[in-house]
Amino acid sequence: MWKFIVRRLLITSPQIIFLSLLVFVLASFMPGDALTGAIGPDVKAERLAELREELGFNDPWYIQYKDWVAGILQGSLGESFQYKMDVEDLIWQRVINTFWLSLVSVIFIYAIGLPLGILSGRYNDTLLDQLITGYTYIGFATPIFIFGLVALWIFGYILGWFPTGGSVDPGVESGSIEYILSKLQHLLLPGLSIALIGTVSTVQYLRSEIIDTKQKDFILTARAKGASERRVYNRHIFRNSILPIAAFFGYEIINLINGTIFIEQIFSYPGMGQLFLDSIVIRDYTVVTALVLLTGIGAIVGALLSDIILSLVDPRIRIK
Amino acid sequence: MTLLKVEDLKVHFPIRGGILNRKIDAIRAVDGVNFEIEPGETYGLVGESGSGKTTTGKAVMGLNNITNGEIYFGDELLNKGNKVNIRKDIQMIFQDPYSSLNPRKRVIDIIAEPLRNYENLSKDEEKKRVKDLLEKVGLTAESMLKYPHEFSGGQRQRIGVARAIALEPKLIIMDEPVSALDVSVQAQVLNFMQDLQKELNLTYLFISHDLSVVKHMCDRIGIMYNGRYVEEGTTKEIFNDPQHIYTKRLVAAIPDIDPKNRKENTNFREQVKEEYTNSYYDYFDEDGLAYQLKPITDTHRVALPERG
Amino acid sequence: MSENHSHKDIEQQVSEQQKEQEVQKSPSGLRIFWREILKDKLALISLIFFVLVSMIVFGISLILDLDEVVKIDPFAIHQPPSDEFLLGTDKGGRDVFGQLIIGTRNSLAIGFLVTLISGAFGIIFGVVSGYFGGHIDNFLMRIVDFFMVLPFIMIIIVFVTIVPRYSVWTFSLIMSAFIWMGIARLIRSKALQERELDYAQASRTLGSSHTSIIFKQVLPNITSLVVVTMTLNLAANIGIESGLSFLGFGLPEDTPSLGTLMSYATNPTTLEERWWIWAPAAALILVLMLAVRNVGEALKRAADARQRRA
Repeated sequence: MWKFIVRRLLITSPQIIFLSLLVFVLASFMPGDALTGAIGPDVKAERLAELREELGFNDPWYIQYKDWVAGILQGSLGESFQYKMDVEDLIWQRVINTFWLSLVSVIFIYAIGLPLGILSGRYNDTLLDQLITGYTYIGFATPIFIFGLVALWIFGYILGWFPTGGSVDPGVESGSIEYILSKLQHLLLPGLSIALIGTVSTVQYLRSEIIDTKQKDFILTARAKGASERRVYNRHIFRNSILPIAAFFGYEIINLINGTIFIEQIFSYPGMGQLFLDSIVIRDYTVVTALVLLTGIGAIVGALLSDIILSLVDPRIRIK
Repeated sequence: MTLLKVEDLKVHFPIRGGILNRKIDAIRAVDGVNFEIEPGETYGLVGESGSGKTTTGKAVMGLNNITNGEIYFGDELLNKGNKVNIRKDIQMIFQDPYSSLNPRKRVIDIIAEPLRNYENLSKDEEKKRVKDLLEKVGLTAESMLKYPHEFSGGQRQRIGVARAIALEPKLIIMDEPVSALDVSVQAQVLNFMQDLQKELNLTYLFISHDLSVVKHMCDRIGIMYNGRYVEEGTTKEIFNDPQHIYTKRLVAAIPDIDPKNRKENTNFREQVKEEYTNSYYDYFDEDGLAYQLKPITDTHRVALPERG
Repeated sequence: MSENHSHKDIEQQVSEQQKEQEVQKSPSGLRIFWREILKDKLALISLIFFVLVSMIVFGISLILDLDEVVKIDPFAIHQPPSDEFLLGTDKGGRDVFGQLIIGTRNSLAIGFLVTLISGAFGIIFGVVSGYFGGHIDNFLMRIVDFFMVLPFIMIIIVFVTIVPRYSVWTFSLIMSAFIWMGIARLIRSKALQERELDYAQASRTLGSSHTSIIFKQVLPNITSLVVVTMTLNLAANIGIESGLSFLGFGLPEDTPSLGTLMSYATNPTTLEERWWIWAPAAALILVLMLAVRNVGEALKRAADARQRRA
């Protein structure tokens, strides 16, 4: 058991190193450097060259890489030239917003996915199952940005049920009940948009897993013993099928990240995804670099957690 | 002159484990095997599954990496499958006639594969060679454009034979060539292989677990157990005068068709079984492995412990 | 003389045989795929629809003057649908219908291109990994694992913004570089199974090189998996491309795609009041992706069924 975890951790560290190298190489190809925006236009070229030398921009790449990593380890991601503030402070606000959006999405994903998957697995080949399967079939083929856009158009603009942008109504006092409710209201539609598309794989997985388990010998045995249908499902089938789903959560992180980029853009929701796109457009590359690195690490750690949880849940994986 | 000489052959497969997935132990599939094959003879390699007989065959063929030992073909030392012209002289017939023919290839492409690798033939020449080969194994020229799934198991094995003899090899390794076939077809294919051997002056290394088949086919026999030889001798010596308890038990287990002998056979088997259980530690060391082979006659060698 | 004669005989037999062979069922796979699609009404309709749309789009775009379509006309900004402009005009006064045709053409073409590039790379990567197995497989699969967890949308966007001489080709290459892993994994696990079969070992003993075994022996046996996966990937890739174009980091500006038309909807007024600009593009993306998926799923069922029979 612990052997698997240690080995899995050993794989993770080169992944993070390669990610940091990739991001570093990308950053070095981005035009301009930290001084381009930070210094006024009246500074002379010689002075600029001096500063570059002082700050180590002329060092060989591995020394620059070492300094860059050392900086990150001390918690410094550089400075945004657009906002003239430390990147970590700038990102922090947005991370919190994206965190809430992701949390709401995840809650919806499971709140929708679990019952649908269980229903369609338990009553497979009924009309209900066909409806649910039809939904997953279409949902699988629908790009999230089209779904989000249409949802915003119908429920935001035409019906006016939800706000069409931002993360909170302007002028609401921070910390009040109103503020929290307004935040929630802004989260519902984007969260649902992510969830309705994102939950499809959960529904499909759960359905086929339950149909599979239903025919296994131990279920037949439980029935033969006289266990009630309810007990068979609650105690035997769900427990076997749901645990892996909980473990897949870590893999979902990468999908959530990809989804939030589109959804935040469509709903003008001030999260990391929107900050990323804005920073790309205005060429605020320190922010871009930091965001790619952070989300990459997030995804790597997510996959790591999933693997570890899965190995706890499913002994077959440990042997590998 | 000896055609094939195997000296102290060892094939070990590593067992990996631990955090860094390092080699922690090894499965000794073949653990110190010596034998020689003379031109024109059929040499049988017999043992239960897991005894290492197939691994030995594949090592000779160059399909397995050799951990230790030397394999000489004539005068030449075979190393890890790099002597192209010699490899041409050794061919193999596989156990499963279903998976050994690529289901996506027509018969002509299957049989011509070795020709395309070693000989530059025109399309017509190639077609003629394939036709000749098909006829030699008793199939018609029309078979050329069919796919393997259109043939029966016995016919497929003939296609495998046609492919193996395409390069006119000297030695053919047969890995349980008939055990996947119906019993009714087995004899037919075996006899055909014997005819082919005479006609083309072939040498066979015949790997099998089926003693009655081996008795029918082979001139000399080696018995393997747990990666080692327990006994080697001519077919007569092995069947009439088995020395090792393992060989005795194998020979005793051959079924007899005559129902009159049933009772006698059962008693004999019980007796051998008892002897086997009682004297197991006289014939195998504390790891359950066979001892070194000791010659009894010029041709007969048995694995017995040093006495006294 | 007689030799010559018999030779001719064979040839004749052979050609007759060939004809018969074509009438009989052949395990080439493509025929079985075709039969399955004919049986499956939804897949058949989807295929016809897809072919029809492709023909219309490529046909019209041959006669359509691209310069005319993308020319900015300040006097015709944001006109509603009319006889002159079937779907109205956009913020630059450009004909939306013309852009829809060219956009569909570009989206389809890029979808194909990216599927081919990423597919070819993924197949070779996967088949090499699976065929050789052991340490090579272990190493190559660690690379796949690494690419799988990358936030690929972000990284593609970064690449798109920093690459010099940005064009349709560089975009296709960048996109392919981050989406080849799925097919590589699938092919690898199939190749792992294939290499255990005796025919691959037999080829070794017959003197075939590893390269020749991989391409001539193993690959033909996994074509059905390749066809199925590539079809499903095509659907996904049309979606990813239009999504990136929607964000503004897809095809270059002079090559509008369906996603480019969708991106006009980021303007709230366009989204709310001028649905004719973006809704047809949205519907087309959706229907095209569904159609391709339907075909892919039917192929998958055919491949599975054949596997059961074999």
